[in-house]
Amino acid sequence: MGARALEIAETVGSMGMLLGRIVGRTLRLSLDREELMKNLYRMGVLSMPIVIVTAIFTGGIMVIQAAPLVTRLQAYGLLGWGAGFGILREIAPLLTALMINGRVGANNTAELGTMVVTEQVDGLRVLAIDPIGFLIAPRFVSIVITLLLVTIFADVLALIGAAYVGDLMLGVSPLTFYNGLTSGLLGTGDIVSGLVKSVLYGVVIGLSSCHFGLAVRGGAPGVGKAVNATVVASAAGVFVLDYLVSFTL
Amino acid sequence: MAAVPDTLPDEDDLEPPQTGMLGVAALIGDQAIALLRTGRELYGIFVRTLYFCFRGRREPGAIAFYMHEVGNKSVFFLSVVMGFIGMIMVYQGGVQNLRILPDLSLIGATYLELLIRDLAASIGALMLATRVGAGIAAEIGSMVVTEQVDALRMSAADPVDYLVKPRFLASLVMTLCLCVWGAAVSTITGTLTAYVYFDLNPHTFLNLTLVDAADVGTGLAKCVAYGAAIPVVSGHAGLATHGGSEGVGRATTRAVVNSSLAVLFLNLIISAVSYLLFPG
Repeated sequence: MGARALEIAETVGSMGMLLGRIVGRTLRLSLDREELMKNLYRMGVLSMPIVIVTAIFTGGIMVIQAAPLVTRLQAYGLLGWGAGFGILREIAPLLTALMINGRVGANNTAELGTMVVTEQVDGLRVLAIDPIGFLIAPRFVSIVITLLLVTIFADVLALIGAAYVGDLMLGVSPLTFYNGLTSGLLGTGDIVSGLVKSVLYGVVIGLSSCHFGLAVRGGAPGVGKAVNATVVASAAGVFVLDYLVSFTL
Repeated sequence: MAAVPDTLPDEDDLEPPQTGMLGVAALIGDQAIALLRTGRELYGIFVRTLYFCFRGRREPGAIAFYMHEVGNKSVFFLSVVMGFIGMIMVYQGGVQNLRILPDLSLIGATYLELLIRDLAASIGALMLATRVGAGIAAEIGSMVVTEQVDALRMSAADPVDYLVKPRFLASLVMTLCLCVWGAAVSTITGTLTAYVYFDLNPHTFLNLTLVDAADVGTGLAKCVAYGAAIPVVSGHAGLATHGGSEGVGRATTRAVVNSSLAVLFLNLIISAVSYLLFPG
C-alpha cells in the first residue's frame, strides 16, 4: 500500500514538473509549428473513424439503456432531455477521451518510447535541439486541442445516433427527441461542463503519455510496458478528474 | 523451364493515382476490405482458441498465472475507476432528478438496475480492455519481435495454444469476477454519495425491486462476451506485430482501440437483443 502510494506520488510529481516545462515552452511560443500541424493531423483527422463509430454506438446504447425506464413512465417526451443530458455532460466526453487515450495516447507513448530506446532523443540533445520544445510540447498541445474538437464532434454524432435509435426501437420520432432536447431543461452550462472536462482529460492523457514515453527503459518489451502503464494511468486519471469536475461545476 | 515475363509490371501501373470521388470510393472500399479481413482473422483465432480449450494441452499452472496477471493485478485500478463511477452516476442522476421531481426515493432502484444490466460490465470491461488488452498485445508483440513465436512454430507448437488460450481462459473467468467486484464497489460508493449529498437512507437506496433475472442475465452475458473478446482481439493484434519496438507500440495501440470498439459493439448488440427479448 505504502509503496504504491509513494509510486503514484512520484509519477504525479514528475508529471507536474513536465507540465510546468511544457507550459513554459508554450507560453514562450518556442514549440515547433510544423511538428504541431503534423501531430494535429495525425492525432485528430486520422482518429475520426474511431470517434464516429464510438459516438454513434454510444448514443444508441444510451437510448437502449433508458428504454425500459422511458416505457415504464411513458415519458417519451423526456427521452431527448435524458439522453442529451447524459451524452453532453458525461458520456460523450468520457468515452471519446477513453478512445483517444487508446489510440492517440498509446501511440504517442509508443513513438516517444521508440525514440528514447533508439537514442533519437539523445541525438536531439546532441544537436542542441530542445526535446521538450520540439517533441513534447507540440504533441501535448495537439492532444489537448484534438480532444476538445473531437468531443464537440462526438456530442453531435452521439445525439444523432440516439435520436435514430430512439426512432427505431421506441418509436420516438426524431422531432420529439429534438423537442425534448431543446425544451429548456438543458442549458449551455451542460455543454460547457462537458467541454471543460474534455480539455482536462486532454491534459491528463497528453501528460501521462509523454511522461511514460520519455521514461522507457529496455528495448521492445520496455515500450510495450510503457504503453500499458500510460493507458492505465490516463484512464484512472480521467475518472478521478471526472469526479472532481462533476462535483465542482 | 518456367516462362519468365519479359518485363515486370511497374508498380505505378498496378495502382493508378487516385483523385476526386474515385479516391474516396477507393478509400472506403479499402477500409471495408481491411475490416472484413480483420474480422475473418479474428474469427479464425477465436475458433482455434475454442478448439485448443478442449483439445489442447492441459496447463493449469499457466492459467493460474494469467488469472493472477489479469485479475488480481487489475483489482486496484478497477476499484478506483468503479468507485468514482458510482459517485459520479449517483450525484449527476440525483441533481438531474431534482430538476424535474423532488422525490429521490426511486433513484437507488434505477441506479442499481442500470448498474447490474450495463454499467458494471461495460465500464469495467472498457477499463480491462485498456489494461489487459494492452498487456497481452505488448507481451505477445515483444515475443513476436524477438522471434520467440517463430521458435514456437518451429517446435510444432501452435502460438494460439501456448499464448492465447491460457490468457483467454483466465480472462473469461477473471472478467466475470472483476465485474461483480466492480458492481459491489460502485454500489457502496453510490450508497455513500446518496447518503452524504442527498440525505438518502441506505435502506431506501438499496432497493432491488427493479432488478429482475433478465437484468442479471444480461449483465452476466455481457461479462462473458467481453471476457472472451478482449484476449482474442488483443492476441490477434499481438500476433500480427512486425517491425521492432515501433511495431510493438503500434500493436499495443491497435489492441486497446480494437478491444474497446469490440466492447462497445458487443454492448450495443447484447443490449438491443435483451431489450427486444425482455422489454419493460
